[in-house]
Amino acid sequence: MKRCVVSGVFLLAVAVLLIGLQRVGQAAPPLPEIRQVLRQSALKPPAESALEGLRQHNLGEALRQIDPYARWYAADEYSSPESGGPDTWIGIGADLQERAEEIYLAVYAGGAADQAGLPDRCRLLAIDGESIAGLSMAAVAERLKGGEGGFVSLEVAQPDGHPGHFQIKRRAFTSLNVELVRAGGYRVLRIREFIAGLTRAALMASIPFTGNRGASAQNTEGLIIDLRDAGGGDLYEAFDVAGLFLPAGTILGSLQQRGGTPRLMQAPAGEIFTMPLVLLIGADTASAAEVFAGTLQQHGRARLIGRQTYGKCSSQTDIRLSDGSVLRYTNGEIFLPDGTSCSGLGLQPDREVTEAVFRDLNQLVFAAEAMFETNGQGPRPSAAFYP
Amino acid sequence: MNRYLLVALIFLAGVLGGCAAGEHDPRTGGFFGGIGGLGSGGYEKRMKEREASLEQLRTTQRALNIEKDQLEQQQSAAYVRLESDRARASIMQSEIALLDKKTKALATQQGTDQQRLAKLQQRLTALKGQMGRQSSALDALEGSGLGDADVDLRRKQLEKQRDALAREYELLMKMQLELSQ
Repeated sequence: MKRCVVSGVFLLAVAVLLIGLQRVGQAAPPLPEIRQVLRQSALKPPAESALEGLRQHNLGEALRQIDPYARWYAADEYSSPESGGPDTWIGIGADLQERAEEIYLAVYAGGAADQAGLPDRCRLLAIDGESIAGLSMAAVAERLKGGEGGFVSLEVAQPDGHPGHFQIKRRAFTSLNVELVRAGGYRVLRIREFIAGLTRAALMASIPFTGNRGASAQNTEGLIIDLRDAGGGDLYEAFDVAGLFLPAGTILGSLQQRGGTPRLMQAPAGEIFTMPLVLLIGADTASAAEVFAGTLQQHGRARLIGRQTYGKCSSQTDIRLSDGSVLRYTNGEIFLPDGTSCSGLGLQPDREVTEAVFRDLNQLVFAAEAMFETNGQGPRPSAAFYP
Repeated sequence: MNRYLLVALIFLAGVLGGCAAGEHDPRTGGFFGGIGGLGSGGYEKRMKEREASLEQLRTTQRALNIEKDQLEQQQSAAYVRLESDRARASIMQSEIALLDKKTKALATQQGTDQQRLAKLQQRLTALKGQMGRQSSALDALEGSGLGDADVDLRRKQLEKQRDALAREYELLMKMQLELSQ
């Protein structure tokens, strides 16, 4: 018995030593610097007790309690969409999405899954003949992974409810900043993220491809932009993209930072697109994408169709600390042109659709087309931005 | 008249009469039909039809050849543009690196607006990353095969993005000049 206890203590000591060594291997966060940044610059000044409660072992959770969007990244973990490497990866060219304990595949235009004919937002049932029932997202992702040139066989339920079997060859793939998706005889543009300096230019280049009379003709019939997977990105880029559809000088919104007055954002001068506009939105449409959609909705410039959005009208900034690590924290609240914020509320679509229609792009586009007739005609608030 | 000769004449008249109502196509109707076709101008008609058909095929072939030449010219022009884009991206990368170096030197000088300088440095870092991505994307474009609709779209996006990044670079240059004065 005594030997057993000694062995137990010895094993515990070894475990503690190993954990300690592992921690030594990991970079220690510069806690005083993190506290100082949050103390000075966070949108809502944190309580001093909360700042003092930040420790290496609880940093993630304690940061989230101060600010739900705050994160700390070790120097080697961090990559921003602006400074990171090329967004090329090997795989089937689809993201996994979990809804009500089901896993769906969000397909990238031009990727392997798309080329194999897999429709967007199929419900995944089995991989290589084995059911995925009960598997976690991570486990499913692991089963989909593999080397370039390898095949994976998928059993799915398609958006129209029909079962489908697809054989997909994994390959290297670089996603487009703005994707061109064909649905119901229509060409839809899809934005997944607003990337500083890139999305506006990519959208401008892509719009001519949406016309039914060829890439060189101006699309005057109407433009549909799919924001269902747009989780945010660069706020200023979102404002810039909104400015493509509104006259110069139009108020796009405002940014309130700590201790200051709201900074008004106005549409810049430049090329303007005047065709009718419908935006597809949903629960994953968040942050910068909500600002983009909300601004155009409030000006009556775009109609929204889909489901209520996520509800995050705040901005975060990434600050590099002295040791090379990065702290992300909320530094601003964004107000839409009428002075309201979408935080905690989300945007309400002008036309709400069922979850089944939401997932089926063909049906959604069919419903969106009908909205072009009333686009811009509704009595939307366009004045009295700030009293 | 010989009875046999009469029968033969009636038979011959019947055969020729039948041919007169036929198609006169030398390919059909057997020996007599063929003789009838040759005699009635059916062969020339058929020949003309075949010549017309052949001419139509030649016209289609010429149109296809023209289209092929145009596509080859487009592809060749696309490769030239690609090379030019890569060269421009490479020059911009060097210029941005130089600008970054100058900005870092500026940071050591007294009296520089540190907040603006920090913003400039932050954006420069991002711009460097984006230019790197542009170069990689241009390389990937060549490997993915030109002419495909998605590739054309990607090319247009990259062109617009390159112009936007170049404009941003100009702005950063001005900002750096202002800071150094």
